Amino acid sequence: MLEVDRLCVEINGALLLEDVSFQLARSEMLCVVGESGAGKSTLMKALQGLVPARCQRFHFEPANIDASEAMPQMIGLPETRWVMQDPLAALNPRLSLGRSIAESLHGRGYTKAKLRKAVEKALEEVELDPAFYDRLPGQVSLGQAQRACLARALVAQPQLIIFDEPLSALDAIVQKKVAQRMDALRRETQTAYLVVTHDMGFAAVYADQVLVLQKGRVADYQPRTTFFDSPASPYSASLIEAARSLGALEGTL
Amino acid sequence: MSLAIPIMSHASPIRSFFVWIGGLTLILIVLLGAGLFLTPYGPAEADFLNRLATPSVSHWFGTDHLGRDIATRLLFGTFWSLGLSLMIATIGLVIGTVIGLIAALSGRGGDYALMRLTDSFFAFPELIAAVTVAGLFGPSTLNLVIALSVVSWMKFTRLARSLAVALSECDFVIQARLNGLNRWQILWRHLLPNVIPSLLVLWTNSWSRTILAVSGLSFLGFGVQPPQAEWGAMLLDGKPYMQSAPHVMIFPGIAVLISVLLINLAGDLLRDLLADPR
Amino acid sequence: MSSILKRVLGLVVVLLGISLITFTVSHFAPGDKAMAIAHARYPGEQGFAPEILQSIRDELHLEASFWEQYLRWLGAVLQGDFGVSYNTQSSVWSTFVGSIGETVTLSLTALVFGLAGAFALAALAVRRPGSLVDRLAIIVASIGSAMPIYWLSLLLILVFAVHLDWVPAYGTGTLAHLVLPTLALAFWLMASQTRLLRSFILDAYDQPFIETLRLRGISEAEIFFRHVLRHAMLPALTMIGLDFALLLEGAVIVEILFARSGLGALLATSVLSRDLPMVMLLVMFFATTYVVINTLIDIVQMASDPRQRQGGQPTEKSI
Repeated sequence: MLEVDRLCVEINGALLLEDVSFQLARSEMLCVVGESGAGKSTLMKALQGLVPARCQRFHFEPANIDASEAMPQMIGLPETRWVMQDPLAALNPRLSLGRSIAESLHGRGYTKAKLRKAVEKALEEVELDPAFYDRLPGQVSLGQAQRACLARALVAQPQLIIFDEPLSALDAIVQKKVAQRMDALRRETQTAYLVVTHDMGFAAVYADQVLVLQKGRVADYQPRTTFFDSPASPYSASLIEAARSLGALEGTL
Repeated sequence: MSLAIPIMSHASPIRSFFVWIGGLTLILIVLLGAGLFLTPYGPAEADFLNRLATPSVSHWFGTDHLGRDIATRLLFGTFWSLGLSLMIATIGLVIGTVIGLIAALSGRGGDYALMRLTDSFFAFPELIAAVTVAGLFGPSTLNLVIALSVVSWMKFTRLARSLAVALSECDFVIQARLNGLNRWQILWRHLLPNVIPSLLVLWTNSWSRTILAVSGLSFLGFGVQPPQAEWGAMLLDGKPYMQSAPHVMIFPGIAVLISVLLINLAGDLLRDLLADPR
Repeated sequence: MSSILKRVLGLVVVLLGISLITFTVSHFAPGDKAMAIAHARYPGEQGFAPEILQSIRDELHLEASFWEQYLRWLGAVLQGDFGVSYNTQSSVWSTFVGSIGETVTLSLTALVFGLAGAFALAALAVRRPGSLVDRLAIIVASIGSAMPIYWLSLLLILVFAVHLDWVPAYGTGTLAHLVLPTLALAFWLMASQTRLLRSFILDAYDQPFIETLRLRGISEAEIFFRHVLRHAMLPALTMIGLDFALLLEGAVIVEILFARSGLGALLATSVLSRDLPMVMLLVMFFATTYVVINTLIDIVQMASDPRQRQGGQPTEKSI
């Protein structure tokens, strides 16, 4: 469904991403892991069209994009939505959650009633009461705000949702709940997830594929089922080892 | 990372500020109206037999060199001193915000040109520029308003632009762009509501500073001209008599002082109410 | 391009903007410039023959296009030629240089006393934040910055010159003449800076090293004078640098109020008599002082902050 071949990002002569390739099928989850500075957020920004990028081939089936050389713009595509790291930064503090979520349906010509209904349904999907429609981001907890962000992505019924560290702003118990809800919704709606994270534990439980970035290059790329047992590079082995020693992988394998 | 604590609504501080200010303005207008209605004197009503009278029951703040009732003139002066400066501050707010937002939304070239223009205007000290313009084009109320308006908008431009630029890099604006909103929709939905509160704080600040500027320029002879009852012009009128009748210069000054103090306090209150919505 | 170079380039652009605004205002000021010059050249004469006026217009290119006149004027200004006064026929530059001393003296004296007062008030206030003294200091500062400086000047004259007769009210010359204007300006400066200084000093006390010094048994007085004050000085100096143009502006107003000779009197008389070359020089001077000081402060800050100086190596965080 999504295929990226040899993606490069170069800014002012510095090569921030080099030959990053991956494929993602319908309702699959790809976790991109790596330490900070490895190029994870650059990859996000390249996909958002916020930094100039080029690649050999870019194929995005739902939107009928099949391009080479320059990265096509994914801004405004109804087939893609983003969920960001800090829910409070991702929500306009002076806009109610409902209106923020409704913005995701911008340009579809919905009537007000239909819009409200769609938003309330999305709130239900992420286990938020419809009363949250009129709340402001400052009036809800971080977990609730991140759920609202998830609802904003889901309400548009995209084929692909890209997550940037979706859980790192939340505390452990909330993390688990949101992660479970995320995963259940992926199966229900058959949406593909591309999750950028440094949380190996999350990848170990939910990912279908794992892609390891190191200094802007792909250090490892394989299915989750094999990744944790036979990492392909010493770097991914050390990442797994580090996670294991912190107990992050306990009970997940 | 601050935890979001369910507190009062974030939209309400602005509303409550306006209720507060609106109520205060209403009370002020009622008091002024009552004063104007109750006072037996007119602002230009001279009584030559009762010149420079000290404060008494019939003339609460005394009379000036033409025997005009100072209290009555101060009441009428409210419209000049507070009204004119409110008008000038509001002109600055509107022009400045529009230019600042245009700069923030236009490309690099347009932004650079507009901001260097703003810098150029900003370089001229307010009072000196106003003295120059009002002086060269002839001292009058209209020229005073023009002169002070010309030097009042740049603060708003800088603030509006810098806030809008900072907000444009915020995640929620990026989200809006990814959702396909165009820049004007982003401006209207996301930038303006988040920029206006700070601009309002600056606006009250600008209002009080303009009161000082309007009365100061009028006192120096470059603004509202006597016999109009503007407070600075009243001081100018009373200056030759201050030795024998100090009350002619005490009360207009106190009027300016109290107005500026109250508006500054309102500005502080507003700033505290609006402190970071997150 | 390095950010310092960019900043200097910006300064040049802004200076051009300032000159253009100044010229535009004077160009569209009402009044016949040829007539004004004729009056200055032939003092005492009344009506002028059209030929004389025409020859002045030709000589000074008063009928050329706006842009041609602007460029001619700018060219002369860049060579240091600000023209001759319409009033006195002498070079406005030399008159300006002759007057600036008074204004600078007044500004600097007021700066010293005003800052000393502000520091004293702020230091008193922070000894116990929230105490009666602290609140009193804030109230004094609030009232002081709401007080119209012209009214304060009148009060000072009334009390110290008229009633007590300690010092003269108006004029220039002796040290005694300097007392009241300095007092007015310094009080205004003190009032407007105390609250900021107070917060700077509080910030300095919040620095972790202060606690270390206390643990080492260093006296409060020494901590305040040797460490806190030094720490609060830097933001304070930056702030004062930024406000220096404001101080000059205040000085000009005070000079007009106290009928002192100096740039204030020069501005008032030249504006009222429409002596355009003088007005343009003065206005340009204030605007230029402001932007140059601002640029210098910016550059000093850039130079002391290596992140800004390098300006442009991209990292993952910066994009």
